[in-house]
Amino acid sequence: MRAARAAGAPRSLVMRYAKYFMAARLGLHTRLAYRGNAIGRSLTYGLFIFVYSRIWTTVMAGRTELGGYGLSALVWYFIVAELPSFAYGRFFGTVAEDVKSGQIAYLVARPWSFLGYGFAQAMGPALLDIGSFAVEGLLFGLLLLGDCPLRDPAQAGALLLSLLLSGVIQYHFQAGIALTAFWVEENSAFLWIWQKFALVIGTLMPIELLPETARRMALRTPFPWIAWAPGRIAVAWDGGLSPALLAGQAAWALGAILLSRLVYAAGRRRIAAQGG
Amino acid sequence: MRRNGLGAYLRFLGAAFSSNIQAAMEYRVNFLVQVFGMMLNNAAFAVFWKILIDRAGSIGGYGFTDVMALWAIVSTSFGLAHVFMGNIRNLGSVIMKGELDVYLLQPKDPWLNVLVSRTSVSAWGDTFYGYIVLAFLPGPSVPGFLLFTVLAIIGALVLAATFSAAESLAFFLGDSSAISGALAEFMLSFSLYPETIFDRNARWIFYSIIPSGFVAFLPLAAWKSLNWSMVPLLAAAALVYVIASRALFALGLRRYESGSQMGTRL
Repeated sequence: MRAARAAGAPRSLVMRYAKYFMAARLGLHTRLAYRGNAIGRSLTYGLFIFVYSRIWTTVMAGRTELGGYGLSALVWYFIVAELPSFAYGRFFGTVAEDVKSGQIAYLVARPWSFLGYGFAQAMGPALLDIGSFAVEGLLFGLLLLGDCPLRDPAQAGALLLSLLLSGVIQYHFQAGIALTAFWVEENSAFLWIWQKFALVIGTLMPIELLPETARRMALRTPFPWIAWAPGRIAVAWDGGLSPALLAGQAAWALGAILLSRLVYAAGRRRIAAQGG
Repeated sequence: MRRNGLGAYLRFLGAAFSSNIQAAMEYRVNFLVQVFGMMLNNAAFAVFWKILIDRAGSIGGYGFTDVMALWAIVSTSFGLAHVFMGNIRNLGSVIMKGELDVYLLQPKDPWLNVLVSRTSVSAWGDTFYGYIVLAFLPGPSVPGFLLFTVLAIIGALVLAATFSAAESLAFFLGDSSAISGALAEFMLSFSLYPETIFDRNARWIFYSIIPSGFVAFLPLAAWKSLNWSMVPLLAAAALVYVIASRALFALGLRRYESGSQMGTRL
């Protein structure tokens, strides 16, 4: 009996999480059905890489480094730091719409976690996006610079993990912001503020270029852990610093999950369903 | 009585603008959120440029004031284009879904009618942002303000003509949203960065296919030197782009097939 129960435990664990894999697959299939939309975003990503490579080339004319980064490192940094913006920038809309439309009243009654299901459904296509943008970025980088900063398999693995953690942070903070729709219907301004901080702190340029006080303050916020951490791992692999960056991201990912769950728990009490 | 003379068109444009404003103001909180959100969006880039230029010095000869003046002109031009012709970016979708019928049945020019039939709420934020930046630039003056406004109107016409031409590709390609969206993104991206960062041999693009030169770089030069003599040249360029864009729409209209969709405009 005990043996049967022991054999059943992993099976029930698989069953428990199978629905989330299905959600990820569902999201992926939906994305694949609308491949045309991806063309425009790919062109935009390529355009941004080109424009910022020109900015950094102009800035670096006559100097060898800026904030510890050379020209090649600055361009590669931008290529990697933009990945979370392009792949993880649209999580807010679905969650906010579920709350505003009242759809959430149906979703909370389903036999899965609302946030867990939403995360799986969003990350399925987002990981496809990360992969396709990364290939595009790699091609652009090789074309523009002729070299690649990824030399160590451990570095490539750390970068993948870092991008994944970045997705966890982005989804749960955006979901937390979206769930404020329980109290404030026009909550898109909160998302814009979030996005703009994320853009300036670590996406458009490494935080090493910020003034010293701003840089120290930034490190106490979640923003650098979205784009700066993977960007830094990609261009300046450091056996000492990189694990610390991953640990920082993991801590913020955990914080983001807790925060989104707290907001969800508070908001859920406001759901009023009537029969019909 | 001429029902399609200049006076009639001006009255029509006034009526369209008025009804668009009323529709936008119906949701005031949404209006304010979008306006301030867009201003915040633009301000984030000002922070980026401030940090970068403080750290690296001028970029291709552009100091912080130059970049902000560039942003002010382009932002207000973009804003005006979308405040008065807020349906530009939907033109391709209107064509593709066969929704032009309702405009074709009306007595006014269908191209203009489609473009002015909506306002973009967030574009009000872009329009205001340009003037706010202008107020903080060194040496504000009444002639500078007037020239800025004239240049922004010219820029708005060039932007509207370019976006509309990109959207009109839907007549020829069907779902051209990816291409038209990318063209619009190219237009904006090249306009918002210093011209000097781009290769000298490639800059002809900014005075032809992607006319950032007439929206951003030449207006910036004119405004910085308070040079009114460049205005006729820029206005002539804008007229050429508007005529070309209208001609492309007319050419495409010959290929248009009605979706037999029933529609009303209230």
